[in-house]
Parts: sequence; C-alpha cells; structure tokens
Amino acid sequence: MARFVFFGGKGGVGKTTVSSAYALECVDAGLETLVVSTDPAHSTADVFDQEFGDEPRPVEGYEGLSALEIDPEREVQNHLLDLRKQLTSQLSAAMVNEVDIQLEMAHQTPGAYEAALFDRFIEVMDSADPYDRVVFDTSPTGSTLRLLALPELLERWIDRLIHKRERSIDLFEKAAIGNQEPRRVMDGDPILARLRERKERFEFAGEVLREDAAFYLVLNPDELSIRETSRSLETLSEAELPVRGLVVNRLTPAPDPHEEGRGARYLRERVATERERLEYIEREFDVPVAATIETRVEEVKGGVLEEVAAALDISAVDGRPRTE
Amino acid sequence: MTLADRIASYRAILEEWLRGLYHGMIAHPAYEKIEAEAEDLEDAFMLACFPDAFGIPSPVSYYTAELLPYLEDEYEAWERRLWDRQSVIERKGHQYHF
Repeated sequence: MARFVFFGGKGGVGKTTVSSAYALECVDAGLETLVVSTDPAHSTADVFDQEFGDEPRPVEGYEGLSALEIDPEREVQNHLLDLRKQLTSQLSAAMVNEVDIQLEMAHQTPGAYEAALFDRFIEVMDSADPYDRVVFDTSPTGSTLRLLALPELLERWIDRLIHKRERSIDLFEKAAIGNQEPRRVMDGDPILARLRERKERFEFAGEVLREDAAFYLVLNPDELSIRETSRSLETLSEAELPVRGLVVNRLTPAPDPHEEGRGARYLRERVATERERLEYIEREFDVPVAATIETRVEEVKGGVLEEVAAALDISAVDGRPRTE
Repeated sequence: MTLADRIASYRAILEEWLRGLYHGMIAHPAYEKIEAEAEDLEDAFMLACFPDAFGIPSPVSYYTAELLPYLEDEYEAWERRLWDRQSVIERKGHQYHF
C-alpha cells in the first residue's frame, strides 16, 4: 500500500477532518503516521487542539501520530533569505543590487508559493523514513494538486536548460584556441551542478508520486464541489496519478420515519437530492466512492474524530474500501 | 650577411605575415563566430531562466533564482548584450567584417 496518501478537494469540504480521521485509522492499524498540513489557515491545530510547527511533532494523546504544518509564506521567505546570504558571499558589491531585484521578483511570481510548497513536499517525502504512512492534507488552492502533476514538466524544463548550458559551454571551449583560457569550462560548472541536482529532486518526486502515493478527493454533495472534483480528476489522470477513491463528506442525516414537521420535511427533501447527486457521482466518475460521511452538529474534534474515522471506509492497510 | 641569411630572414617575415593574414582573415573570424554563437545560446539560456525580467511569469523562476549567485559574469554580459542588440540583423551582422 502506498506510503504517501494525499487528500485534495475544494475549500471547506472537510479535507482536514477526513485526513485526520484517516491518519487516526492508520494509527489504529499500528502504523507510525505523520499528518502534513499545507493549509496556511492550519486547521489541523484546531482538530487536535494543539499547536504544530514546521518540524514533525508527536500529537499528544495519540500514540504513534505526529503532525507537521507547512507555511508556504515562510518557506518562500526562507528561500529568499538563503539566496541573499549566498549572494553577498559570492557576488561583487556592484552586482548585488542588480541581482537582488531579480531575486525579489522571482519570489513574487504567482508560482513561488507552489514551488516552495513542492520543495517542502519533496523534503518531507525524502525524510519520511521514521513513518510508515504520511498523510497530506493539501491546501484548498486548486493548484496544490496540479502541482503534483508538475515534476515531469519541470524535469523537461530543467533538461532544456541543462542542454542549452552545455552547448554554450561547449562552444566557448571550442572558441578558445591555443593557450587561450576558455571563458567557461564544463568541469565543475556550478550552474550545471545546480541544475542537475534539481533534476534529480524532480525525478525523485515524480517516481515517488507515481509509485508510492495514493490520491483521494474529498467532496460535498453539491454542484460546485462535484464540478471541481471532476476537474481535479481530469488533471490528475492526465498526469497519470490515478485517484483511488472519493470521500463524500457532509451528507445530511435522514430523519426517523415517524417524524413529521417542517424540519423533518426539509431533511427528507435534502436527503433525496443528495441521494440523487450521490448516484450521479457513482455513475459518472470512474473512481469508486470510498466513504460517505454524515454531517456532524459539533465541530470535529477529539472523540468525534474517532467516530468519523469509523465511518471512513478506507482501510488503512491496503487503501481499498472496506466494504468490497 | 650572406645570401642564405637574407633569404631566411625574408622567409621568416613572409611566414609571419602569412600566418597573421590567415589568422586575421580565416581563423579569428571563425572563432569569433563560434564565440558569438555561444553567447547567443547563453542569452537563450538566461532568457529561459529569467523570463520574469521581461514580465513573463515562469513556473521555474523560483528555482532558477538559485543560480543567480553563480551567474554574475553571465548576468552582466547578458544585460550589456541586450542593450547592444537593437535587432537580430544588427547582432548577426557582426560576423561580417566589411
């Protein structure tokens, strides 16, 4: 069974609840588990009523469970600071300003958050040795899942950069005749070294995602969430990252048959529409519905989380729906 | 000075001239061309690395920013060449020594 399990979906559908519940189930199955949250709002802290940080920290009250919260903003800032430090040690004073502007700009581009997040994902996957299972609670931005489709694209891009660099260095070497020193040499070129290192990271990420990861999408029985899910399914299957199952969250509980009155009528109607949508989901999507979870009155915390975990029909051991 | 010596010195001068001529007319422009080509490639590389310098957002500029500390010479030369380069023809025209 895959070691890395990703939960994605539209904002507010209950990804954190579902992924925390799933993590609990993994713990119950005797697996050392790590929950990784990428939501800047950090609801994992609310679910477990504890503060988590940038490093994995054991969750109090749950044996074998650790949590980690990634703050993309801070990752971007750290990256920028690191580079600045290198900059001042490498460059002449005259160039520092010029390059600094460029650096600043690169960290303000729309993709910077995603890139930082992706970097951190790779780091977490790389250092996941102490854990049997890592559960990613991805942030609602649609791009987080798209991001996972990225390694191949980035690999190709980096490949092209490497190729260009190699050719220009090669020409510079050829242009240097006799005793002339070539302007650049292939051996020990820091740029090539950097690019190759990057490429290896992306290859690693692509391999892990294709071979050792499982994806689940969380959705609510409403139009918007269904449409978003269908889009996510498409992007993920395009990236050859098949989704294992769907988790339909926040189903309305049906009233008892003898109950009458406005509230009961409302609930009955809702249940009927939701059933239709559920059928639609089961009919239209190739991906099985792995679990349906009824909505809760209280905030999902502590004891309630275990109830949700019980309702979750994804077996922690083989990742398939239990009822099959 | 014997005749043989005079012939020898004459031949030495001629040889030097011929080598200079060959270098100036054939060899040097050829290497210059190669170098210009290498520079063009390097420009393409820089542009692929930092398209956001021209306002084109790039998904990789976050990663390529890591290269900046090592690109001092390239960066400066790149900027200089960009200022120089009014058109493709102008740049490519350098290879012909009119």
